[in-house]
Amino acid sequence: MNIQSKPTLTPAEQGLIDAFVAKVSDLPGDAELTAHRDRLIAQLTETGLPSRRIEAWHYTDLRTLLKSVPGPQPAGAADALPPIAPNALILPLLQGTHVQPAAADGLTCTSLQERLLAGGASETLQPLGRDDAIGMINSAFVTDGYVMSLDSEAELAPILELQAVQDGGQAHGRFEFEANAASRATILERHARSGDSAGLTSSVSVLKLAENADLTWIILQDRGADDVHLGQLRAELAEGARLRLFVINTGGHLVRQEVVVKVEGEGAHFDLRAINLLAGQGHTDVTLSIDHSAPHTTSEEVVRNVVLDRARGVFQGQIRVAREAQKTDAQMACNTLLLTDEGEFDAKPELEIFADDVICAHGATVIDLDPAHLFYLTARGISEKVARQLLINGFVDELLDELDNEELADVLKRRVEDWLDRHV
Amino acid sequence: MPAVQETIDQVRQIDVDQYKYGFETIIETDKAPKGLSEDIIRFISAKKQEPEWMLEWRLAAYRRWLTMEEPSWARVDYPQIDFQDLYYYSAPKTAAGPKTLDEVDPELLATYEKLGIPLREQEMLAGVQQSKIAVDAVFDSVSVVTTFKEELKKAGVIFMSISEALREHPELVRKYIGSVVPTSDNFYATLNSAVFTDGSFVYVPKGVRCPMELSTYFRINDQNTGQFERTLIICEEGAYVSYLEGCTAPQRDENQLHAAVVELVALDDAEIKYSTVQNWYPGDKEGKGGIYNFVTKRGDCRGRNSKISWTQVETGSAITWKYPSCILRGDNSRGEFYSIAVSNGHQQIDSGTKMLHLGKNTSSRIISKGISAGQSNNTYRGQVSAHRKAANARNFTQCDSLLIGDRCGAHTVPYIEAKNASAQFEHEATTSKISDDQLFYCLARGIPEEEAIALIVNGFVKDVIQQLPMEFAVEAQKLIGISLEGSVG
Amino acid sequence: MLEIKNLHARIAESGTEIIRGLNLKVAAGEVAAIMGPNGSGKSTLSYVLAGRDGYEVTEGDILYNGESILDLEPSERAAKGIFLAFQYPVEIPGVATMQFLKVAINEQRKARGEEELKTPDFIRLVRERAAELKIEPEMLKRALNVGFSGGEKKRAEILQMKLLEPNLCVLDETDSGLDIDALKIVADGVNALRAPDRAIIVITHYQRLLEHIVPDTVHVLYQGQVIKSGDKSLASELEAHGYADIIEAAA
Repeated sequence: MNIQSKPTLTPAEQGLIDAFVAKVSDLPGDAELTAHRDRLIAQLTETGLPSRRIEAWHYTDLRTLLKSVPGPQPAGAADALPPIAPNALILPLLQGTHVQPAAADGLTCTSLQERLLAGGASETLQPLGRDDAIGMINSAFVTDGYVMSLDSEAELAPILELQAVQDGGQAHGRFEFEANAASRATILERHARSGDSAGLTSSVSVLKLAENADLTWIILQDRGADDVHLGQLRAELAEGARLRLFVINTGGHLVRQEVVVKVEGEGAHFDLRAINLLAGQGHTDVTLSIDHSAPHTTSEEVVRNVVLDRARGVFQGQIRVAREAQKTDAQMACNTLLLTDEGEFDAKPELEIFADDVICAHGATVIDLDPAHLFYLTARGISEKVARQLLINGFVDELLDELDNEELADVLKRRVEDWLDRHV
Repeated sequence: MPAVQETIDQVRQIDVDQYKYGFETIIETDKAPKGLSEDIIRFISAKKQEPEWMLEWRLAAYRRWLTMEEPSWARVDYPQIDFQDLYYYSAPKTAAGPKTLDEVDPELLATYEKLGIPLREQEMLAGVQQSKIAVDAVFDSVSVVTTFKEELKKAGVIFMSISEALREHPELVRKYIGSVVPTSDNFYATLNSAVFTDGSFVYVPKGVRCPMELSTYFRINDQNTGQFERTLIICEEGAYVSYLEGCTAPQRDENQLHAAVVELVALDDAEIKYSTVQNWYPGDKEGKGGIYNFVTKRGDCRGRNSKISWTQVETGSAITWKYPSCILRGDNSRGEFYSIAVSNGHQQIDSGTKMLHLGKNTSSRIISKGISAGQSNNTYRGQVSAHRKAANARNFTQCDSLLIGDRCGAHTVPYIEAKNASAQFEHEATTSKISDDQLFYCLARGIPEEEAIALIVNGFVKDVIQQLPMEFAVEAQKLIGISLEGSVG
Repeated sequence: MLEIKNLHARIAESGTEIIRGLNLKVAAGEVAAIMGPNGSGKSTLSYVLAGRDGYEVTEGDILYNGESILDLEPSERAAKGIFLAFQYPVEIPGVATMQFLKVAINEQRKARGEEELKTPDFIRLVRERAAELKIEPEMLKRALNVGFSGGEKKRAEILQMKLLEPNLCVLDETDSGLDIDALKIVADGVNALRAPDRAIIVITHYQRLLEHIVPDTVHVLYQGQVIKSGDKSLASELEAHGYADIIEAAA
């Protein structure tokens, strides 16, 4: 009874295959890597893009939602943008191509292209399993990016701003960051649009935190209203490591940001603060999977979503606690302001617990603005529009207070306010 | 609280064998040949003297089923079932429509007595201050007897086996069967539609408050026999019924299949309260044997201000796949789901509910308490969704899991889907173990560990137990204590 | 300043009529007390004045400086100088008190065509006014009303009133939940606002507050109507004999 007919290819699937055929000779790498890329595309041809029947893509049916893909070539040139983080060290990735590896005290940096050309890279370009469409697309197409390493004990003084700027076409980039023992840094991974053409991006960030490393990583995705953004962040945390991740989505037409964290070392801590501001016709999905596999680890996630217009938001969060991970404390909250009848929000917070001496909890709410709050503000002479902005801002803004860098927090807060100004 | 004391006593009395309903009844049975085909379906339908349309309905379901795949999304793992290696019809030989209890095989009556289900009305009445409960007893594939029929008839309530109902009230059955769970709904429900052998039928007419609790008691006895019962409950405008369901099976090394369908229909201002204590044989300590329980239960709040409430205590079965759901179609309708799921040994439970908000001002409430022990896996899976037009839909979900020991798993998988601004959903879930402080407190008061756990667990599940009718509440508490026997130390 | 004429108002959802033909006049410079037993319509009156959603005016009118305000949004009424001090000020997590005050002041100024207040001026103004009400600067850093005690919430309401300088102040049961010290601070704050061009309506169940904010007129509200009006002696009379006598006399 298990006969599955091979699905016919959708225009988007065909588009990806065509793009691969057109680009394959230009993709950096040795013969082994080319063969690896071929295998991944063959797999894509075989299985197609994931549909809602694949549990991990239940709410983001990529097969249906991705109607078409742009050709591989960009529409125009992209320039580096002024940094949004004050005094930042910028590493631009323009149309998926590196500019110049920068260096700072304690930080070494090479282009990914160099690594790919050096050979033996196929090992590192692996999807995270059969259903990992983003990992598959990125591994097959990736051309460039940055490979960074921060010395033990080093503290990177400036904020490092990874700037992926794109104008149309396709870009497939990758950032690898190794934080050696007890190093500290704040990194802003920024995805922006230049020009007028719709583009497709896949972006994979691979973070390795050694013992007691302490990273603050911010993903700011502010692409155009017709762009497709497929992002993935993988992180491994060794003993005593600490990763504070901020995800801010304010743009894009079809966005999926995956966060896959392995809390592997005793006493390691992960937290996530995500702000999803959704308007227009966009579909934005944040999918999170956290594995606790060592004792005394902690994680805490707070996701706040604002849905306007006809936008649709998705949050999937899975916390897994292995048998060995006793004394784990994992908390997850997903709160949504669903402000229109045409909008939609779907949440699937999941707990998968195999250890008994743990404290794990998740909570999810979907609500509208409280009329009593609105009345209180308007009774003080604040117009309804401003009152709504104030309340929505109050709902998301406090997550940014948790950024240690106040200047950066202020910049990001202003971006949230600007967004509210434009959309509420 | 006396019930707690009883649980403790019960736990104390427990011997090695934890499953006290594991005995077998030796009785002559009338069986269809093994396997599944259109002929078998014709055989079942003929045995039951069903109208022609019913046979056609079954056959259509069967043809549909042949094209379907067994679902794989649930967190349960079991070897593939050979659907041709089962008997689809098994009836006690003497059971062909006994008119009175005296015609019922004494072996059967003895079986139900042993299970603690008195079928003789006078015995029930003799019970000290026990409230009246009408019972429909289903043994393997058929209903053997239904009690208190006459008294119910006076109130206008129809309570009989569904086979009887198909003969006596075909128009009612035809109108409602498959209207909540369509024949194409899912693999197991479709299979059930093709081969169901018996079950209960309840019809409460307009404005009638059913004068007593109704109850069905299911017993799988025969080897290699699939039990496929079908229950249909209809509450007309302003009617009310409280319905109880209990189940047991003998201890056997091989797995037995149970795939039931329950459909509830509540019209304007009607209320249905459906309570289950499920204690099918869970398999032995090594995970051998036990019932595969694949059940589709759904209630349709079809009318305005209607209400459907599911309460379940799940302690048995090797595998449970069950999501009693509510379709909140009528404006102002309300759905409730209260659940206790206890897994021990090698049991696997994937259970929860769906609350589908379609009408305006609909509300739902979900309280789920999962307790995992031994090497079991216990998953709560629940969906709450508000349709675009379901203005002011409200849901509150509280979902707590308790782990006892470090070889079991507790999982929570909610699906929360909101499609309009006025919907308000609130979901909370926690997973924890029995707190050391609580345990120590009890131990320091001289309460042995096992009893202390029973006490604490009783506290953990109290919110759900309170939803059960009194007689069931006591029974359920005992059962939870027994199920957790041997989970510590 | 305020004239309420034959006002009828009901709760929109249930259709229950709460205000049933209420008449009231309050002149500039006047402090008017509205007293009444529970359920007489006191809070409804304050909400209808401020324009809260969920209440429908079915008959009559509310004139403010000679113009009907019934069609105005709550924010427009506030900009015109109507201020309601809430009986239960809501807690609004995430919205900082200072930010709220600044937006409120500037939105009102904007609506009146005035210049926005510059940040240093604003901060100075808030500090001064807060000190008069013994409000700790730390309190202003918190989210609006969140974690404030009952007394702090009421003081925060009076602070807003002082900052917004309204023409018509409506104080809804401002004394509820206050101890005597807090009550005095609040009353002093209100008394300081007494001015020839400003009217104050004090809604209260008890006479207690009126010992500190001495009214010019007292009106007894019962079943949605003013059944008796008088000077401040009426309040003492109520305190001594309760509402029953007056209700009976009016019936």
